[in-house]
Amino acid sequence: MIAVLGLVVGVVVGLLVRPEVPAVVEPYLPIAVVAALDAVFGGLRAMLDGIFVDKVFVVSFLSNVVVAALIVFLGDKLGVGAQLSTGVVVVFGIRIFSNAAAIRRHVFRA
Amino acid sequence: MNSEENPKGETPKSENPKGEEPEAVAPSAGRSEPDRGGPDRPDQPEQGQAEPDQPQAEQQTGRQRLVAVLWPPRVNRAQLIVAVLLFVLGLGLAIQVSSTSDNSALRGARQEDLVRILDELDNRTQRLADEKQRLETQRTELESSSDQAEEARKQTRQKEQQLGILAGTVAAQGPGITLTVEDPSGTVESDMLLDAIQELRAAGAEAIQVNDIRVVADTHFTGTGGEIEVDGKKITAPYRFKVIGRPQDLEPALNIPGGVVQTLEKEQATARVERSQKIVVDALRPAKRPDYARSSAQ
Repeated sequence: MIAVLGLVVGVVVGLLVRPEVPAVVEPYLPIAVVAALDAVFGGLRAMLDGIFVDKVFVVSFLSNVVVAALIVFLGDKLGVGAQLSTGVVVVFGIRIFSNAAAIRRHVFRA
Repeated sequence: MNSEENPKGETPKSENPKGEEPEAVAPSAGRSEPDRGGPDRPDQPEQGQAEPDQPQAEQQTGRQRLVAVLWPPRVNRAQLIVAVLLFVLGLGLAIQVSSTSDNSALRGARQEDLVRILDELDNRTQRLADEKQRLETQRTELESSSDQAEEARKQTRQKEQQLGILAGTVAAQGPGITLTVEDPSGTVESDMLLDAIQELRAAGAEAIQVNDIRVVADTHFTGTGGEIEVDGKKITAPYRFKVIGRPQDLEPALNIPGGVVQTLEKEQATARVERSQKIVVDALRPAKRPDYARSSAQ
């Protein structure tokens, strides 16, 4: 419950404050958000599976974000930033879908 | 989510009907893969499907866990940590969404389109810069030429005033004298009046009128005693000359021995000269356009 409240408060604060994103961080923000979303879905699934461990969640959340940003950064340096971004998004999208399927099975039994 | 710290302890509290079920899950989940068990299990739906022997218990457990986590709000370490991370996620999501919704016309455009748009903008900038240059040049020309035109207009106006005084088309005022010639016996001839005019001009008179007639370059006096006409208009005694000029020059010019005044007095006429600091010569004559003479200055 508190976690859901945290998400809601984060969205509201982000919409109200509208902080300026530093130009250095800007290209990595969408990828980081997608990676974090993947971590959240994974955590939700683990919770439904009864195997949730908060330490694992924290580590996977942060490592997901960092690795995703690192891949995009490396891609930018190599000149294939757009393609690597697409690849990262595709991978995370697949993971999110499979996690969402597991969650759906838990919640809707279908 | 707090229930995951020790699934064995929590799940029985949530009124799990089957006591052996958490033990069936916990050994496989809690020990074999807790290190990557949380969110890093994207592609293992087989685990959910690999337990068809207890499908209903598993699903009910998941749902009950969700409800148990959601409804009684409990504060513990896991909830707080996840709340913080989700707060960060929500923040990033909102920032990204709001920054994406800005200037959405160009965002999402393909690279070729962007290049084309940039080219068009460059061309347009170039054209506008050229036009600006042209307009500025024009403005500079107009400013200088309008200054010149204004100056020329001012000079023309001054010249018009001066020439108007000479030509008798505008009224004039200034210091001067008034010459009054009484002619009780009708002996004053037109040439005497003409002599008076000549004398006054020689003395520097700038504007002259006789009775109500302005004296200009082509003024002529005709007729004899008592029937004098100036420019074809009859005038009668007393003849009043209003003259603008330097009074100290004009008066002696009339009063010199053998001059106008003496000549008139010899004819039983009386001439009286009065100085004044303000003589108004307000008789006008229409501007006449010469029929043949044209300015050769242009």
